[in-house]
Amino acid sequence: MKNYEIIDHTADIGIRVGGGNLAELFSNAAMAMFDIIAEVGSSTRQITNSPISTSVKLKADSLEELFINWLNELLSLSAIKGLIFFDFKIKKIQENFLESEAVGQNIENYRVNTEIKAATYHQLKIEKTTSGWQAEVIFDV
Amino acid sequence: MSEIWQGPLEKIDDFRWRIPRSYKPGMRVPGVIYADEKLLKDIRQDKAAEQVANVAFLPGIVNASLAMPDIHWGYGFSIGGVAATDIENGGVISPGGVGFDINCGIRMLKTNFQYDEIKNKIKDLVYVLFSDIPSGVGSKGDIKVSAREEKDILIKGAKWAVEKGYGSAEDLECTEEYGAITGADPDAVSERAYERGKAQSGTLGSGNHFVEVQMIDQLYDADLCDEFGLTEGQVTVMIHSGSRGLGYEVCKNYSESMMRCLQKYNINVPDKQLACAPVNSPEGKAYLGAMKCAANYAWANRQCLMHLTRQAFERTFNMSWQKMGMFLIYDVAHNIAKIEKYTLGGQEKTLCVHRKGATRAFGPGHPALPQRYKRTGQPVIIPGDMGRNSYLLVGTQKAMEETFGSTCHGAGRLKSRTAATRSISLDRLLKELESKGIIVKATGRGTILEEAPQAYKDVNEVVNVVHNAGISKRVCRMRPLGVIKG
Repeated sequence: MKNYEIIDHTADIGIRVGGGNLAELFSNAAMAMFDIIAEVGSSTRQITNSPISTSVKLKADSLEELFINWLNELLSLSAIKGLIFFDFKIKKIQENFLESEAVGQNIENYRVNTEIKAATYHQLKIEKTTSGWQAEVIFDV
Repeated sequence: MSEIWQGPLEKIDDFRWRIPRSYKPGMRVPGVIYADEKLLKDIRQDKAAEQVANVAFLPGIVNASLAMPDIHWGYGFSIGGVAATDIENGGVISPGGVGFDINCGIRMLKTNFQYDEIKNKIKDLVYVLFSDIPSGVGSKGDIKVSAREEKDILIKGAKWAVEKGYGSAEDLECTEEYGAITGADPDAVSERAYERGKAQSGTLGSGNHFVEVQMIDQLYDADLCDEFGLTEGQVTVMIHSGSRGLGYEVCKNYSESMMRCLQKYNINVPDKQLACAPVNSPEGKAYLGAMKCAANYAWANRQCLMHLTRQAFERTFNMSWQKMGMFLIYDVAHNIAKIEKYTLGGQEKTLCVHRKGATRAFGPGHPALPQRYKRTGQPVIIPGDMGRNSYLLVGTQKAMEETFGSTCHGAGRLKSRTAATRSISLDRLLKELESKGIIVKATGRGTILEEAPQAYKDVNEVVNVVHNAGISKRVCRMRPLGVIKG
């Protein structure tokens, strides 16, 4: 089951994603991003190699910046290490700080659909809701 | 899709529409959109026109926030936007006005072949191109470089590739900025960007990037065609790619740092993705130095891709590329900011011209053009979608006067990628293309559907506008024969 929705945008792709707390929101947003890239959410995916874990520590001036930096940091690491991430363990998170482990597998194990160049600030929304948090973000593809 | 844009569009003439300054407090200049009535209807379907108005907020912007007929909704700037700022008057530079894929651009080369001579070999050729040119997400090439050599690429651009044996000196003469823009500052590029650039030289990438074999199906200007050595039925090639991960990283790094400049320089813009800094500030200069590095990387990349393309032709036809007449007509950037001089109100001004999904279109006699194109004006290459046409145009004096020497860059998206994927089936699309004699090979499963002709405006209508508005001139039209995509 996908826990995010696609928002239509002429040139790019946007998502609306939620989470019970900030850690879940960040983890679900990252999951959605890699699902767009390589369908990591699909149950037909075969794990053939042992997963590789990468630590991600980030500081930012605001929650918005932390959110965008988080997604963009994962895109960079994915490109450099040749990994597709599918599991995100957020160990610590505040509005301006995050510490996590991203778990991925070699990109060759995936059918890759789309390249995402970056997460953008355009129409970015991060809101507290009655059930937790919700975010909308547009990716440059 | 989003709701229809209801803002004011005042008719200037059949091909020009104005968003008046009064539309939004904070606009420093009006917006001007180049379009006909039909394209205007499409433009109103998303928020692109609002973005044209938003760009008019940029400090130092002169004349108007311009949009070409292929305009569509982007992030921050619309795609198809042109904005020039006056450097001496606090003019800013914005990474969002260039885009993540810095110096995404296109080159066109000709061949001596007529379509009839090689029509039975097109399929073989496309398969060889597909196997020889690394493509797809995160694709890595055989051209590996050391860290020191990578710095060399960032300064020398396409010249680095030619020195390695990937092409000829003549290729450089036929490339915007001769394949290397001066003022690149490798120290302004982050380690991360270097790392991402290391293995991606000579790789196509994904999305809308492609190598396409085409044939000329219509001539518009006999003199210009003679000058370029082009005839009906002649086979040509287009290569569309950019600066890959290195460029994305540069844009990302500086978008972040410029977010802080908004407060520091007291700049008010309605969208964070329009973050910017004065061109003359330390932050502005650093971005410009880094952006030029990424631009040079892209020119080197397209030079490498052309080398691989020539080799694929050599393998298929058993002839040298020179013998096949595979000479470069021109290479243009369509995501870039340039420092250029223009006369405004009788005064010469140094401007920072952002072209985000727009092509430079310098008119005849411009000093930046090589001798061979002084008389014709700069060649302008406009790719369409994979099922319709592409164009060769030239720049005009009118573009110099009106659009800071700029014109459109392609067909322009009409439907979102998700809408395109929903509305068309892959089988039907491939059959449709096959019935037109077009062979397609793509790495990504989703790419063919996302890039379906139905997802784009008709490039013929787009080019019609820029030709009739006089900001560029049609030379000839091509139709696709075979295409490889990421």
